[in-house]
Amino acid sequence: MVKIMEKIDKIKVENLSCFYGGKLALEALNINVVKNEILTIIGPANSGKTSFLRTLNRMNDFDANYARKGAVYLDDENIFYMNPEKLRKRVGMLFAMPIPLPMSIYENIVYAPKRLGLVSKKSDMDDIVKEALQEASLWNEVKDRLNSSAMKMSGGQQQRLCIARILAIKPEVILFDEPSSGLDPISTAKVEESMIELKKKYTIVLVTNNVKQASRVGDRTAFFLMGKLIEVGKTGEIFVSPKEKQTGDYITGRFG
Amino acid sequence: MKRKIIDFIIEKIIFLCGVLSIVFVVLIFCFLLKEGVSFFKDYDVFKFVFGKLWYPSSEPAQFGILALIVGSIYVTAGACLIAVPLGVAAALYISEIAPAGVRDVLKSCVELMAAVPSVVIGFVGMATLVPFVRELFDIPTGLTAFSGSIMLAFMAMPTIVTISEDAIRSVPWSYKEGALALGATRWQTIRRIVLKAAMPGIIAAIMLGIGRVIGETMAVMMITGNAAHIPSSIFEPVRTMTATIAAEMGETVRGGMHYKSLFAIGLVLFVITFSVNFIADLILGKKKRK
Repeated sequence: MVKIMEKIDKIKVENLSCFYGGKLALEALNINVVKNEILTIIGPANSGKTSFLRTLNRMNDFDANYARKGAVYLDDENIFYMNPEKLRKRVGMLFAMPIPLPMSIYENIVYAPKRLGLVSKKSDMDDIVKEALQEASLWNEVKDRLNSSAMKMSGGQQQRLCIARILAIKPEVILFDEPSSGLDPISTAKVEESMIELKKKYTIVLVTNNVKQASRVGDRTAFFLMGKLIEVGKTGEIFVSPKEKQTGDYITGRFG
Repeated sequence: MKRKIIDFIIEKIIFLCGVLSIVFVVLIFCFLLKEGVSFFKDYDVFKFVFGKLWYPSSEPAQFGILALIVGSIYVTAGACLIAVPLGVAAALYISEIAPAGVRDVLKSCVELMAAVPSVVIGFVGMATLVPFVRELFDIPTGLTAFSGSIMLAFMAMPTIVTISEDAIRSVPWSYKEGALALGATRWQTIRRIVLKAAMPGIIAAIMLGIGRVIGETMAVMMITGNAAHIPSSIFEPVRTMTATIAAEMGETVRGGMHYKSLFAIGLVLFVITFSVNFIADLILGKKKRK
């Protein structure tokens, strides 16, 4: 008997359109994200990739000009009918610029679990901090100064702290919004390493301006242009033999 | 060449303006110091600050300002208790919660409040608040420390609201986004992130508000009843240091003991407001260095 690899769709997007102030930013998008994969999204500016990402955990809701149509399912549950706070607990997000909260490293990590009522005992908090920092491959660098201010860390460390902070609330999906646009190549490499480590346990959607980064970490890659999904497929195939000419042009740097 | 001369002249004029403002403050301080210190040559400082009796024109004259200091503290503390929670909450509402239209209206209203002259506030308070307080608490007179506190809270509110609002608004949106993306609710974000990050600014706002309240004269003179005795509760008339100076300066003999004693009160007041402003500056400076 042939054992079929289990491929469950973690996120399914159906006919999603997004508008900013009446202007179409994303048009009739249909795409799925498979469990435990890294889906990378590439595309030039204004291609709708960030709008898409921010729709997945409803961070767009705070923008009064924003409107949307269609449906997004997380494990067969429509996220637009979910409680946004609960959704954001399950779908964590990492921003372009590392934004540690203005407190110590330790407090940064226990902040969300405490607020969400996941922990109350000091020993549990210690465990969560250690585990999260280890998963974000930061533990060895900061274990001796957990109580110093997070603002004093380097950019790459701050970004990994932000990853650890998300891991502390045990999400199912992690969204990365150009996580290395403000980092040097070595810090970028470290963030990419932790991403590949993380996909064993989490599903990851990565928006990046760096085409090479997509080819390094992505299992599948989607190419967005002017609010439309042009092509999505296995990263290897997209980079070697794209079906659409526009994809090839973008990847080889002829435009964008 | 001509441009250079103009440049030079304007530079010097601006320099002069800057220096003048410092010179005036120093001159005022020197004048106050001169008159005040000459009073302390004839009257013991300790007796002045801790003396309970203020009988400047009886024989022998008593210059004890403890009752006035207590009066000022009562009124100021009362005003802070009212104005700080209200002011900070109003600032939070304006900067974080109110929709854009409401925000603009509220902001201009608060700024307008700052423009109301204190004598008008005193007047309104006398006509409306004082009889109301008398009836509400069934006390012999409505001219009490409590009424003064309420009116002064009104006057401190604009300072507290506008400066706190600036502080709250200058908290980067990314902080809030970071907290929200972790599943925090709006209220949790405001309480734990926004308020925490804006705290130095809010404290400075409160300090400046207090400075305004301590120095306020006209409204308290009209509302607090001006009885120079140590009150046993906030529902009794009190007299503040500022009101004493304003009320008695006209009836003193220039250069006499009474005249000088009022300057000494001014000196004490100056020291208090200076300390408050100094502390506020320290806190603000600490925020900037971060």
